[in-house]
Amino acid sequence: MMILNKIISFYYREYKLNLSGFQDILTNIIFFFVSIFIFIFSIGPDKETISSIGIGIVWTLLLLSSTLSLRKFYQDDFENGNLLIMHLNGLSFGFIAILKTFSHFIFVQIPFLLSIPIACILLNIANDELIYLFSSFAIGSFILSCLGSISSSMNLMNQRNFLLGSVIVMIFSVPIIIFSVGIVSLEENFNSLISILFGILLIVFAINPWASGLCLKLSLENN
Amino acid sequence: MILVKDLSIERSNKKIFENVNLSLGPGKIILLKGKNGSGKTTLLKVLLNLIEPSSGVIYWKGKLLKKNLYNFFNHVTYIADRTSSLSKLSVQENIKIWTKIFLSNISNSQIENILKTLKLDIYLDQKVNSLSFGETKKLEFLRLIIENKKIWILDEPLSNLDNESINVIAQTFEDHRSKEGSIIFSSHQESEINVSEEVLL
Repeated sequence: MMILNKIISFYYREYKLNLSGFQDILTNIIFFFVSIFIFIFSIGPDKETISSIGIGIVWTLLLLSSTLSLRKFYQDDFENGNLLIMHLNGLSFGFIAILKTFSHFIFVQIPFLLSIPIACILLNIANDELIYLFSSFAIGSFILSCLGSISSSMNLMNQRNFLLGSVIVMIFSVPIIIFSVGIVSLEENFNSLISILFGILLIVFAINPWASGLCLKLSLENN
Repeated sequence: MILVKDLSIERSNKKIFENVNLSLGPGKIILLKGKNGSGKTTLLKVLLNLIEPSSGVIYWKGKLLKKNLYNFFNHVTYIADRTSSLSKLSVQENIKIWTKIFLSNISNSQIENILKTLKLDIYLDQKVNSLSFGETKKLEFLRLIIENKKIWILDEPLSNLDNESINVIAQTFEDHRSKEGSIIFSSHQESEINVSEEVLL
C-alpha cells in the first residue's frame, strides 16, 4: 500500500512538473506539425506521392520530435538532487527508471499519439491505415521512451555533447522504424510484425531499469 | 545507531580521508569540519551508500548498512548543498508535493507555523525561482519536519544563511536532539550550534 502511495505521489509530482512546463510539450507538437508542412511544401502538391511516403514521414518526425525532449528526461531531477531524494525515499534506481519511462510515455509520447489523426489528414493517409499507424506508434513510442531513458541516464555526466544521446536513440530505433512502417504497408503481416515490435518492447523494457539504474547510480556517485 | 569503522576513501589514486571513526546515536549531533575538498560531502555520500569506501565498514543497528539499506533510508532525511524544490512551482505546490511524496501526516497549521518562523509565509504563492538562494535553502529545511525521520544528514546547511536563520536552525537541531533524533552535518564555518562531537577531515 505504501509503495502504491509513493507511485501515485510520484506521478502527481510529474503531472505538476509537466503542467508547469506545458510550453515544452506544445513546442514539440508544433515542431512535428511544422516539419510535416515543410515536407509537404518540399514534395509538392501530388497527393499520391505524399500519401505513399506519408507513413515514413510521420514515423521519422515522431522519432525526431520525441528525441527533442530527451534532455529533460533525468537532467533536472539529477541537478536539483531529486533523483537522490526519490532513492532515499525507498525507490531503487531501477524502479525510478521505470516510473520515469512511463512518465515520458504519458506526458511526451501520448500527445504525439493524439496528434497522429491530424497528421494523417495532412498527409492524405487513408483511414484504414490510421489504425495500423496508431497501434505501431503506441508500441514503438514506448520503445523510444525506454531507449530515451537509457541514453539520457548515460549522458547525465556528459555536459558537452548532449546530441550523443539522441544519436544513440536514433541508431537503435532503426529496427523499430522498419517494423512499424512495415506494419502499415504490409497489412497482411500485421500480426507477425506487431508481435516482433512487441518482442523488441519487452527486451528494451527488461534492459531499461537495469541499464538506466546503473547509470543513474554512477552519475550520482561521481556528481 | 550508525557506527563507522576505519573508513578510508581514495579516488583517482588520491587519498581523500583515511581511518575515520564515528558513532551516531540517539540525541547526538556530529559536525564534520574541514576545508573545501577535505571530503565532507564524500563522507556523507558514503553514509548514504552512494560511494563505495576504499576500506572500512558502516553498521546500522548492528548490521552492515549495505545489507540493511532501505530500512536505513526509512529513517534518514538528507539535505544536500543544493535545493531540491522545483523552481517552476510555487512554495505551496512544493510543500504539497513533499507531503504527498513522503506520506507525511503534518497538519497545515504546523506548516504555517514553521513557515512563519522561517519568514517564508509571505511567499506561499510565489514561484520558487523568484526566491533568493537563502530563502530556497530555508524552504528546504521544511523537508526535515515534513519527512519526520530520526536521522538528519545535512551538507553545508548553514552556508548562505543569515544569523537569524542560523539561530532558527540551531533551535530546530536542539528540538530534534531532545526527541532522541540524531544529526550529522558538514560545515566549514563556525557556528553556535551545540554539537556533541566534531570530526575534523
